[in-house]
Amino acid sequence: MDSYLIAMVTLAAIYAMMAISLNLSWGLAGMVNLGLAGFISIGAYASGLLTTVLGWPVPLAILAAMIIGLVSGVALTYVTLRLRDDYLAIVTLGFAEVIRLAIVNELWLTHGSDGISGIPGIVAREYGYGFELGTLALALAAVALCYWLADRVRTSPYGRNLRAIRDDPEGTAVAGKNVTLIKVKTFGLSTAIAALAGAFYAHYTSFISPEIFQPLLTMYVFLALTMGGTGNNRGAMLGAFLLIFVLEASRFIAPSLPQFSAVQHAAIREMLVAVLFILTLLYRPQGISPETRHR
Amino acid sequence: METLNLTRRAALAGGGAALGVALFASRASAQTGPITIGCLVPLTGAGSIYGPGMRDAIAAVVKQVNGAGGVLGQQIQLVTEDDQTNPEAAVRAIRKLINVDKSVAVLGPWASSVAAAVAPLCWENQTLCAIVGSADSITRLPHQGFLIRTQPSISMQAARFGKLAIDLGGKSIYFLGPQTPFTQTYIDVVAKMAHDKGLTFNSQIYDGSKTSFRSEIDSMRQVAPDTVLLGGYVTDIAVVLRELYRANFTSRLIGFGTGVNTSLLQGMPKEAVEGVYAVTPSASLQGSAYQKLAALVGNPAPGPFEAQAYDMINLTVLAIAQAGKATGVAARDAIRTVSQGDGTVVDNAPDGLALIAKGQKVNYEGASGSCDFDQYGDIVAAKFKIERVLNGQITTVEIS
Repeated sequence: MDSYLIAMVTLAAIYAMMAISLNLSWGLAGMVNLGLAGFISIGAYASGLLTTVLGWPVPLAILAAMIIGLVSGVALTYVTLRLRDDYLAIVTLGFAEVIRLAIVNELWLTHGSDGISGIPGIVAREYGYGFELGTLALALAAVALCYWLADRVRTSPYGRNLRAIRDDPEGTAVAGKNVTLIKVKTFGLSTAIAALAGAFYAHYTSFISPEIFQPLLTMYVFLALTMGGTGNNRGAMLGAFLLIFVLEASRFIAPSLPQFSAVQHAAIREMLVAVLFILTLLYRPQGISPETRHR
Repeated sequence: METLNLTRRAALAGGGAALGVALFASRASAQTGPITIGCLVPLTGAGSIYGPGMRDAIAAVVKQVNGAGGVLGQQIQLVTEDDQTNPEAAVRAIRKLINVDKSVAVLGPWASSVAAAVAPLCWENQTLCAIVGSADSITRLPHQGFLIRTQPSISMQAARFGKLAIDLGGKSIYFLGPQTPFTQTYIDVVAKMAHDKGLTFNSQIYDGSKTSFRSEIDSMRQVAPDTVLLGGYVTDIAVVLRELYRANFTSRLIGFGTGVNTSLLQGMPKEAVEGVYAVTPSASLQGSAYQKLAALVGNPAPGPFEAQAYDMINLTVLAIAQAGKATGVAARDAIRTVSQGDGTVVDNAPDGLALIAKGQKVNYEGASGSCDFDQYGDIVAAKFKIERVLNGQITTVEIS
């Protein structure tokens, strides 16, 4: 039981990193990133390949994954700068699909849909329970670091610029702010954190394949952030933990509803997530922990 | 500051609820009575047309075995989780089956991506895992014997494809199919078979979402193959067959059951599909285990995955009985003792349990086939159904 709880908190922590990443780009700067899963997979594959093929030490590979995530994020915003918000959403969605197709087809590098297995853990897997606890501690530390970083951004004057860009990009530009540069930098930081989450996922589960990084993953993170509170980093973390809690706790409802079949239990679980989301949007559209208003 | 308070309250409530679930679940796992077997099948997502049937077949056997007194004097408790045909969700689900429910075995992972993702958790936690997912690479993982697969691997399916082409007298074989995760394996396997026999082999991979394949067909016709293997699904095969017919192409055509089936026939002119062959992994339709399964689930024609699920649970139960111990390691060590060898042939768990209780050896022959496994956990031999379109109807040529 305890190793199950440890595993779920570890996964929730990885989701929390994804939610913080999305909050930076979408929550604070208003840049819709529907390609989040693509950046997560870039991080996972970068770190997974560097450790399994080139034998890099795990910390170095994770760092490299973050840099690759950052570079790809910067490159993508750079080419889409002239696009309006809704176009950015479409381009990022397409970008994620391009990444997925590249992973499926570049067999020499990624083994296609067979995926990459045997990725070493951040803590050696041989330690068993120690591996679980150690990875949990490191994942929580990474979340804390991401939170600290993202909240520094949010509370700084730079963060005010971000909110200004989100609410009125033209006005911000007229006020003399370099909107382009701010957008590129923020998106890069956001995708670096997404890559970090992907790298953690790869080293934790030891196996990655293109099917893991489906658009559903992006949707889950949007769900977590919306429930937690868009624009609030604490809300992002809370939403991620709440999402995993709901997804997992709903499993334990099944034994108390023996009148339903296994298929119905599965459907009830999916409905529960949807109902919770609709209720949040109806009664608390700003999320559980909404964005605080600043000076 | 109001928002901060609320956050704290929410965090507290969340923490409390988590603790509640933890206590509830630990109480559930504290019961030492029954032997728990996990069922991890797709109940939602792309595989959800197969998962429920697999689950029902497993549940029917569990009920049958429990009715006959259980195994090792203990009842079997079946716990089902939905893998959502999604490897990320499946990893969380199998964690619950292994860590919370303490499953001795996990049966069912259907999609290759799901099976590959959950496999490491099975061998790390010493839990037996029986899968369907057919990508060759899965059973080559370092699984220490904890993995068995009841579905023929992609290589085995490709080999049957190639064998039919050669048996029908093909001298110049051509593979024409869309890009899928399995296409390259098909080509490699058939190419080697053709090469070994000194036959000509060529291949071409196309983009399955295209609406015309005229250029692909033109370049194929330059080689003038006498046998063409069609690797596609219904949508692209329909286009290919129309264009081949229009081009007056008369060579032998062989497809997979996923592409050449009744739904293809519905939208096609009769002449364009006449004579086309189809190869499909099949349950062991004539076997006694298949008849028993049909009677047990009350369905005269269970599908291949239901047959495999039936075999998975029967093998697991027999292995536990043979080992005399309900642990994943014991089940792993005993599984090949009950699946193959010179023991008495049995086709269901209660019969086998009775024999094992008398100290006799058993050899389970299943609904999906003979269920003999090699050192990788792959089945040694598989049954395939060969069909052909004759007078606009799909007709079974043979099952072997």
